[in-house]
Amino acid sequence: MSAMMPPDTGPAGAVAVDEPAASTPPSAMKSLRRFLAKPSGALSISMLLVFLVTGLLGPLLVDRPGGLGSEILRSPSVAHWFGTDDLGQDVFAQVVWGTRVSLTVAVAASAIAIVIGTALGLLGAYSRRADAWVTTVTDLMLSLPLLPLMIMVTALVGPSVTTLTFVIGLFSWPEVTRLIRSNGLVVVSMPYIDGARALGATGWRIVTREVLPAVVPLIVVSVLLTAARAVISEAGLSFLGLGDPDSWSWGRIILNAQRSGVISTAWWQTLFPSLAILLLVLSATVAGVRFNDSRDPRLKDR
Amino acid sequence: MNAPILRVDDLSVEFATREGAVRAVRNVGLEVFAGRTLALLGESGSGKSVTAQAIMGLLDTPPASITSGSIMFEGTDLVTAVERVRRQVNGEGVAMVFQDALSALNPVYTVGHQISELLRVRRKMSRSAARARAVELMERVRIPAAARRVDDYPHQFSGGMRQRIMIALAVALNPRVLIADEPTTALDVTVQAQIMELLTELQRENGMGMVLITHDLGVVAEVADDVTVMYAGRIVERGSVEELFEHAAHPYTRGLLRSMPRTDREDDELWAIPGAPPSPVLTPKGCAFHPRCDIAIDLCRSEQPGLEVIAAGRTSACHLRAEVFDGRA
Ligand SMILES: Nc1ncnc2c1ncn2[C@@H]1O[C@H](COP(=O)(O)OP(=O)(O)OP(=O)(O)O)[C@@H](O)[C@H]1O
Ligand code: SF4
Ligand SMILES: [Mg+2]
Repeated sequence: MSAMMPPDTGPAGAVAVDEPAASTPPSAMKSLRRFLAKPSGALSISMLLVFLVTGLLGPLLVDRPGGLGSEILRSPSVAHWFGTDDLGQDVFAQVVWGTRVSLTVAVAASAIAIVIGTALGLLGAYSRRADAWVTTVTDLMLSLPLLPLMIMVTALVGPSVTTLTFVIGLFSWPEVTRLIRSNGLVVVSMPYIDGARALGATGWRIVTREVLPAVVPLIVVSVLLTAARAVISEAGLSFLGLGDPDSWSWGRIILNAQRSGVISTAWWQTLFPSLAILLLVLSATVAGVRFNDSRDPRLKDR
Repeated sequence: MNAPILRVDDLSVEFATREGAVRAVRNVGLEVFAGRTLALLGESGSGKSVTAQAIMGLLDTPPASITSGSIMFEGTDLVTAVERVRRQVNGEGVAMVFQDALSALNPVYTVGHQISELLRVRRKMSRSAARARAVELMERVRIPAAARRVDDYPHQFSGGMRQRIMIALAVALNPRVLIADEPTTALDVTVQAQIMELLTELQRENGMGMVLITHDLGVVAEVADDVTVMYAGRIVERGSVEELFEHAAHPYTRGLLRSMPRTDREDDELWAIPGAPPSPVLTPKGCAFHPRCDIAIDLCRSEQPGLEVIAAGRTSACHLRAEVFDGRA
């Protein structure tokens, strides 16, 4: 999972520090323009927007898949763009409805992971005493076999969208912690932190007003990468039958294909949800990497 | 002279490093009086900044630890004070001007924001009052067009202007003591003089006590009242600036004065104390200065000289202090 981290996130914290006007609107516009200057930036963002609009508006335009249809296991056609499954349900409708669940889980789980991860990362970076604990717990979490654990917890608590969200969120923060901590350490060693302490700033103030703003760009990157990982986890857990039985998700579509024994014949039932997963993960990851690069002055011409 | 505002006694600071314990500051004592400037003099690595950091509570513990001593400010020992008291003293009691203003100011906030946030948090000022006061302070440290520049970021100022802004921040809460750690080293010579002038002016105005850490003997001669000379973490000599410059009571001080470029003397050649300061881990036995001292005797190699009074207001840590003081050695 950590293979999806951008290769060069290390100095990004320092970069954020070196760019003084980073938090001002004109420069935010400038970085957006720089972000979009490369096809990878524009493409990934457009792709994410397509998914977002589909997740938000799709279910309003497309009927919720359900019941039994007469046209069973039809390959893609004008009437059924993504074909139909063994119950005669429209796969396109399933993918559209699945988008909403996948996105919801991704966004909510990533929010949980970011909040916990950032808080612990900042704590570890600022407080030497807390750091030993933060590092130990983070390393321990990172060394755990995540999938079996997620399966176990989900099975114990009972599968639902909420369970999935919490399980994924609560198991995804260590990567964020590690990233924020290592870059927070760079910021904490900056002379201006001593400057603030010499003027009597409290630890809370220093963490929230001096260190946090400097790692915000990394948080943006983390949100995207964590969301991408969450999509994969959600699909994986759903495919293993640990998804919410009452709502559509991409993993569940593939699971249905597998359960009904058509996984090798009805290629459309697995291809389209897989493609959706792939595209969402890819665009979130590329957007994250692109964002990171566009902030790095050493890569100005990239 | 009345009681000192800030009194450091027997202060020792150690750093735990891989090579062993670095005893950066050893049994240092300082007294800072209202309206007076104490110059802290010494070669690189002699422990001047660490002393200042200990006073400001900026040492990271670990690796640093204060192994002995007290730092008394208005009846409170800052070494043992709880965090809340410590923070209260910083800024209002004791403030500090750093060497490099560019890195000591937060690059992501405007200078006006940094000054007014301080006033809003510590003086409970309203947003508009704090901003007005920030402009006043910037005018006080002579930033041209302060009202316009208040919304600029630190990197938009020149080095000298940035140093002025840091000074404005440091005096914003009217501290009783101002510690300036090489406040002009990073600046042009002409700007250096202006900054020193500004500092002394503010000091006189507010009646602050000032600790000036510097290598520049010329500056010391000009603005300091008292001088404390450090070598390898220890104080080797103390005295008023006139007397100490008149006749040193320690060979190290004598060497420093001799290495000072003088315009009033003909022999214009630059002289330097031979050798280099000792490694902070392996300080020589006996007097730490003995490998470089031209008058060292056997006793110097085995026994550490204590800091003792040689005349009124004069102390020296040298076995031959009397001889050096009298010009006999
Ligand atoms: N964080 C640290 N870890 C280990 N040793 C340190 C640390 N900070 C300072 N020291 C050591 O403490 C000693 C005193 O350093 P200090 O910065 O006080 O010197 P200084 O007198 O201010 O020198 P300069 O004129 O170069 O500023 C040095 O030998 C230095 O190696
Ligand atoms: S004690 Fe000895 S070695 Fe040290 S300064 Fe005095 S004379 Fe020189
Ligand atoms: Mg120093």
